[in-house]
This record gives sequence, C-alpha cells and structure tokens, in this order.
Amino acid sequence: MTLSPSSAGILMAAPVLVLVAVFTLYPVGRALYQSMHIESPIFPSRFVGLQNYQNVLGGRYFTDAAWTTLRFAAVTVPLLVALGVLTALLLNESFVGNTLLRVGMILPWALPATVAGLIWKWVFLDSWGALNAGLYTAGFIDNYVAWLTTPRLAQMAVIVVFIWTQLPLTAVFLLAALQAVPAELYDAAAVDGAGVFGRFWNITLPGIRPMLVIVALYETLMAITNFDIVYALTQGGPGTATTMLTYFTWVESFKKLDFGVGSALAVLIALGSLVVILILVRAIPKGALVEERA
Amino acid sequence: MSKRSPLRRVVTYGGALLLALFWFAPFVLVVVGSVLPEVNLVSFPPTWFADPPNLQTYDYIFTGKIPESFEQRGALRSMISNEVRDVPRAILNSLVVATAVMVINLIFGSLAAYAYARIRFPARAASFNFVLMSRLIPTVAIAVPYYLIVQTFGGINTYWALIAIYSVLTLPFTTLVLTLYFRGIPEEIDEAARVEGASPWRILRDITIPLALPSIIGAGLFAFMLAYSEFLFALFITTTRERRTLPVILGSLSANTDVTWNMLMASIAVGTLPTLLLAIPVWRFMVRGLTSGAVRG
Repeated sequence: MTLSPSSAGILMAAPVLVLVAVFTLYPVGRALYQSMHIESPIFPSRFVGLQNYQNVLGGRYFTDAAWTTLRFAAVTVPLLVALGVLTALLLNESFVGNTLLRVGMILPWALPATVAGLIWKWVFLDSWGALNAGLYTAGFIDNYVAWLTTPRLAQMAVIVVFIWTQLPLTAVFLLAALQAVPAELYDAAAVDGAGVFGRFWNITLPGIRPMLVIVALYETLMAITNFDIVYALTQGGPGTATTMLTYFTWVESFKKLDFGVGSALAVLIALGSLVVILILVRAIPKGALVEERA
Repeated sequence: MSKRSPLRRVVTYGGALLLALFWFAPFVLVVVGSVLPEVNLVSFPPTWFADPPNLQTYDYIFTGKIPESFEQRGALRSMISNEVRDVPRAILNSLVVATAVMVINLIFGSLAAYAYARIRFPARAASFNFVLMSRLIPTVAIAVPYYLIVQTFGGINTYWALIAIYSVLTLPFTTLVLTLYFRGIPEEIDEAARVEGASPWRILRDITIPLALPSIIGAGLFAFMLAYSEFLFALFITTTRERRTLPVILGSLSANTDVTWNMLMASIAVGTLPTLLLAIPVWRFMVRGLTSGAVRG
C-alpha cells in the first residue's frame, strides 16, 4: 500500500492529536457547561446561568484566595528569577564541586511536589520540627517557633518550599542562556575597561533577556497553579492564610463536592492565567523570542 | 585567562556552600530522621542523638517486623499503622503507570514529531500550536471533567485511566522536544532515502530514530518522571490501597496520626530512591539539550 506523503503525515500525527483534542475540548466544554449548572453527585443537574460565578465572585473566600495567590506569585516569581540568575552565574564559574552541584540540584526538582511538601513539613513543624530543634540547640531561640501555625510564617514556608523545587529548573535554563552569550562581547567590554557590574548590566542581562521572560512566564504559571505543596505542607492553613485559588477549587470540588462552583472557579483561574500570560507576552520586546536560527 | 581575584573565589565558594546546604540539607534530614527512634525526635529539648540509630523502620516497611519501641509497655506509641507497608506496592503502581506512559510517549510522540518536522500536511501549524497550547490550561480547571469522563468509562481506580491522563499531559511536551530534535537532523539524509523509494515510516524507523535515540530516550524519561510524580489526578482516580500511587500514599501517610515520624521519613527515603536513580540521566539529557541550543533563548 502506498500513501501520499501528506496523508502519511496526518496518520502519524493523528494519535497525539486525537488524544489531546478529546481530552482538551471535551473537558473545557464540560467545565463551561458545569459552571452554569448546579452539579453535584447527589442532586440532579439544573441550569442556573451565571449564578455559580456570582456566588464565587461575591464571596469573601474567593477574593481572599485570589489575593493570596497574587501575592504569592508577586513575591515568588521575581525572587525566583533573581535567585535563578545568581545561581546560574555561580554555576558558570569554575570551582571544585561544580559538577556535583549541577547534577545534585536535580533532586529537589525531580521529587514529587507532595514529597517536597512533606519533607519540609518536618523541617518547619511547630512542635518538633528540625528547624526548631536546630535553632534551639544552637541557642538562637528559647522556645519553639510556630512556623506553620502563624499565618505570615506559614506563607513564608510555602514560598521557601516552592523556591526549593523550582530554582533548579530556573537556574539551568538561565545557565543555558548565559553560555550562549558570545564570549567575544565580554572580551571587548573588558578591553573597554568595563567592571564586573558594567559587564553584567550591558552584556549579560540583554543577552539572557528572552530566557528571563520565558522563565518568568513559566514560573508565573507554576505559581498560580501550584497545589501539591500547599496540600502537603499546610492544607491551606492556618485559617485561610495559604489557601490559594487551586487549593480553594479543590476544596469546593472534591471536599464539598460542589462541581458547579468548582468548575466556575476553574474557568476563572484559566481566564486569569490567560490574562497573565498575555500581559507577560506583550512585555516581551518584538523579535526577542523568534531568533533566526544560526 | 586572567587570574581569579581572591574576593571572587570567596564569593563563589560561599555561594556554592549556601546553595548546597539549601538543596541537600532536607535530604540529609530525611535519612537521619528515618534511623532515629521517634521518642528522641519528638522530645523537647531535642535529644536526637541520645540513643543509637537503627534500621527498624526500613525493616517494618519491607518485612512487617514491628519495631521494638511499639512493643514495650508504656511506650510512646501502641498503635502502628500498616499503611506504610503499602509503600513498596505504591512504588510498583507508580512504576507500572509511568512505564506505560513513557512507552506511549515514545511511540506516538516520535510519530507525531516526525510528521511535524518533515511532512507537509493540511493544518500542520495550526494543529501543532493546538497541541502545545493545550498544556496552558491549568490542570485544576479540567480535573472535574476528567473525573467525570473517567467515571463514565468505568475507569475509576484503574491503571489505564491514569495512563491516559498522564499521556495527554506529557505528549505535547514530548512532541515539541522531538520535533525540534528531528528538525536538527540534516534533511539530505531523508532525501537520499526517499530517492531510494523509502516510505516515511521506514525513514523514521531506520534513520531518524537511530540518529535521535539519546534525545528520544531523554524525552521518554522526562514523561516517566512526570507520571511518577503526579498527585492531583492520582488522588481522586485511585480509591483502594492496591491501586494508589506513591505520591498519593505519601500524602495520605502524612495525615495518618498513627504513622510515626521516623516511619514517615523512612517511607519518603524508600519512595524517593527510584526517582533519584532516574533523575540523573534525565537531567543530563535536559542540560545537554538546552546547552546545545535545541531550545534557543
């Protein structure tokens, strides 16, 4: 049997296309449908228009969770990018143990995020956590600090764990960008007498800017949709201090089994991340991403 | 090369030390915590190293031999949860699911990638973008519909439901990466084979795949790791202990008050081992792929 190249192409791409299409279009359609119905395992489905959205948007808990999420993203993403640049610069230096660090840094990234949350739960635990034990033994504190039951500290703990899991990827992406900056540029700048900071500001930073944008974009999405760490570390608490939108959605859908409200929330999160993506994409200078291939 | 200034070296080594501490200290804590008696871990003021370490937690996980501390009168704990004994089984579940996802990714990912890299067909660019964009939808937004689909087809608590979902989540990335790699292979090689009368299938099987094998394996392992670690879908699709995957069991252990801290740490250590063994080849693939310019900034 001979096929025209074009139909062979369609056949080869078909399995992926069909699978992705079925599991994207239907769920999105279904989520939109559900978000306009009262939907739960025990009641018959009933059309309620935009009432779910009204309930969600009018409720204090939603605004609360939305703010927590935004604050979380606003703190972690710049922090991650800055730390990522520093780490990449560091790994770009030659020092004993560089390879060990480069290979070993995969561990936090490779762990299931729930496991990362669990490990750190033991570090931060109020009553016998490792951090408390360490600080007490070293004489820094006289009484154990309630890391996970003080709202501010619990938020900080989630940020630390998130950075722990995300920094490796951020750093390795930026390292790759760093190594693609032509060495001649640095040599030329050195001849011109530019200092360390001058070279960083005028050569390194413009050189890695497209990657900075990509990383910031990716990490913003990760920050907005992060769920596992909160689930394992704080369960959204204390109170609602670390209840972000995804955790809130999970509670509404799978704990309260209110699929209608859960779907409305999910649609809002999807729209929200779309807006964030669009804003960030617009911030990219034109032509920065679509570089001509060498 | 100019000599590095002393200041620069101090900053470099100081930074490296801090990073190493941040990244690795938690792992050391897990291993240390898993071999110490719980009574020492939870006492105040801390007396971690008052008693000698032992391997009884690991013994219990694998053989079911109950640690001594549970059998003494007036002991800290009288209840022991056999949920930790599900850890080896959960690792097996995760391995089965992740391996299947990897195989699906390798087969269908390579096929699609070859089509996108080499063959002109209608709606090629549009469908490629669609596949990529599908991953921008937050998983929590589609979790409930996925649940209902799986329920409709009787897939609750089955491997295949997890395999299907993880394949959908990983195939876009695999397709993208492999398309980029396949494009990097000189087209003249394909051309020569085509002149000889080889079909696209044969070119893919006999030329492209052997040439791109390291990247294909890397992409497959990447899919494997995502499937091995996934939590949210596994949490509501698996309902019995025979089917739960490792992230789900570990999540459940942390909420189980009859699980001692040293037992939990031992479970984490055991559950993490397969990831670590796989992590290094995956990472080398990613670093190499990135630095060789496959994903250009």
